[in-house]
Amino acid sequence: MKVALFYSAQERAKSQRWGIRLRELFHYRELILNLALRELKARYKNTVLGFFWSLLNPLGMMLVFTAVFTVFMRSEVKNFPIYALCGLLPWNYFSASVMGSVNTIVNNANLVTKVYFPREVLPIAAVLANLVNFLLTLIVLFAALLLVRAPFSPWLWLLPVVILIQSAFILGLAFILSTLNVFYRDTLMVMDVAMLAWFFLTPIFYPLEDLPRSYPIGDYVLDLHRTMYILNPMASIINTYRDLLYRGYRTDFDFFVRTATTAFLVLVVGYWFFCKYSNRFGEEV
Amino acid sequence: MSPTSDHAPADRPVLIQFHNVSKRFRLDRQPMRTVFDLFARLLRRRSEPEYFWPLQEVSFQLKGGVTTGIIGENGSGKSTMLKLVSRILEPTSGTVAINGRVSALLELGAGFHHELTGRENIYLHASLLGLQRTQINAVLQDIIDFADLGPFIDTPVKHYSSGMYARLGFAIAIYVEPDILLVDEVLAVGDENFQRRCLDAIHRLQARGVAILLVSHSLNQILELCDQCIWLDKGKLAAVGETRSVVRRYLAAVDADIAQQLLDENGQRLLADDEQATPIDQPPRRWGKGALRIDQVQMLDEECNLTWSFNPLATVYIKINYHAEHPLAEPIFSVLIHKLNGHYLWASNTLDHTVEPITWAGKGELTVCVESLALTAGRYALSAAAYTEPDPPHWRSPSDFHEQLYEFQVISDHEIHGDIVMPNQWRHRTTKHPSLTLPDIGEGIVTPPVMSGEVGRG
Repeated sequence: MKVALFYSAQERAKSQRWGIRLRELFHYRELILNLALRELKARYKNTVLGFFWSLLNPLGMMLVFTAVFTVFMRSEVKNFPIYALCGLLPWNYFSASVMGSVNTIVNNANLVTKVYFPREVLPIAAVLANLVNFLLTLIVLFAALLLVRAPFSPWLWLLPVVILIQSAFILGLAFILSTLNVFYRDTLMVMDVAMLAWFFLTPIFYPLEDLPRSYPIGDYVLDLHRTMYILNPMASIINTYRDLLYRGYRTDFDFFVRTATTAFLVLVVGYWFFCKYSNRFGEEV
Repeated sequence: MSPTSDHAPADRPVLIQFHNVSKRFRLDRQPMRTVFDLFARLLRRRSEPEYFWPLQEVSFQLKGGVTTGIIGENGSGKSTMLKLVSRILEPTSGTVAINGRVSALLELGAGFHHELTGRENIYLHASLLGLQRTQINAVLQDIIDFADLGPFIDTPVKHYSSGMYARLGFAIAIYVEPDILLVDEVLAVGDENFQRRCLDAIHRLQARGVAILLVSHSLNQILELCDQCIWLDKGKLAAVGETRSVVRRYLAAVDADIAQQLLDENGQRLLADDEQATPIDQPPRRWGKGALRIDQVQMLDEECNLTWSFNPLATVYIKINYHAEHPLAEPIFSVLIHKLNGHYLWASNTLDHTVEPITWAGKGELTVCVESLALTAGRYALSAAAYTEPDPPHWRSPSDFHEQLYEFQVISDHEIHGDIVMPNQWRHRTTKHPSLTLPDIGEGIVTPPVMSGEVGRG
């Protein structure tokens, strides 16, 4: 493809039209694949088991949960290891992608300052690599589900849609955070702590229903349960995973749509934010 | 041999166009990096940031098939210009228009991933330049052949030698079928054989109509490869045009800069060394504590202008101002020329060239005339020594010795090999071959450009 590219301070606005940007991004799809592949290969390079670690890791976690939650601290929840894994695997996808992409522009400074390519390729590839990893871990989860004969929801076909929604949310966040990190390297440090807090605010090891429906703060009574759903998209997303995988429930439609809307809104805002500042990456990193 | 512009016909499309392009960098960007500084800035009144303009109001256009050299001192905006062409940077004002795929030889193998094999890196790097898998597969074998890595192609690149690294980087950059190729100071890598193949490859790209932008500090390389040349001076376009004339003007400007610099430095050096308390054991230095003092040493050209910059075979006057603290019967002065590396070239003294015998007292001025400076282009050091009496054979106790204290340059726009220049002439005469009868075409005289005394500079 040969494209005439005219750019300048004035004409930048023109070239930032979504159509042109997205077409250019599509043109670089091979690069996204190769960068994701590079990340996966580099991750398992020099390990004896290689890609099998993607499977062994959740398997190991499940063994640990089974040991801990059936022997030491019994949980009310039925099949707790499965319950926890249904939350933990999507969470790990989220957390690894976000933490991996925060630094992606800065880490690839040698590329960013030497070659032109649409910079959004970098966070996309980071998320894509983790998505592949996540899909592999799902195999283990399904095996475990078969093992305990958990009921499969007839709405299981929604699972790819949920993964898509989660990916959109992650990508939006990745765009914003990787941009911020170029200008303020503190972003990475802040995110380290923020992710820990976020982990505990997300119902992974406890059912969301455990949160009080009415929590008095002074005169005001807060519905913590509801607030959490509204403010924390990850809580909604993980709950949807559980509906489909663990509970065998069809999940609530209005709730589903709201989560999807939030996720795609974050994606659009994130991409806009990224594009607004990505032309300065070459001189800032 | 310069590839002439015959493979760059006028109907080639314009691939690069700069229109009034300026680029601005902020100088104080570093302190903004942390949140703490951000708060500090919010509390303080926001000061006006300082700016630096690596490029100012640059306009030019380049056509396909034309190879353009970019020359200029360090920091004159050459790399910024390449980064604007490759879209890594955006202009602060003005328009850059690029028509076609840009491939850059900025730093060979800059984007390689150490853990991946050569083959995997080819895919990664080529896709970085916007190629699809099928396109990469089509050129894969060419790249592997050119890089000449043999079985190492499936070895992680971290085990590569720097030469292999560079070969692979170069091979990818030229086989991705660029329309515009940017080359920044990378042709100096690799062994002789590889460099030759690089140049061959560049010639092939030239013939195919690729626009090449070449940044190099090797002016010979620029002269050899480029059809035209851009000279950047402190971010401004100083000249665009035919390579030879731009390079000549650039060199003249550099020489003029150095000449001015020498004028300033040599003046300051005497003062500085005069006040020096502890003697140093390496020249340039001043030593000797006798009664005969050298106050000033200057070099003058034919027209008696003060300068430290000469052409080969120029007439040079060396002027020494002295003062004697008491009358001296038989003082000796000498001047010496060394190469900057300390290699001793020439000396002359008043013992061999008898100066009229007078009583040397008070202040005086002595001039040596060197009728023809037999030195080739380069940097030299001038020494001046004064002795209160003859001190042969080693002349170890000077009264005042300015040892290699003054630096001067000899400049020439023709390349002359060797250390010295000797005026000479070539004659040619055809001798009749016994079995052939050729008409006698007579004598011819071939005079090389450096022969005459007035080697002028443009």
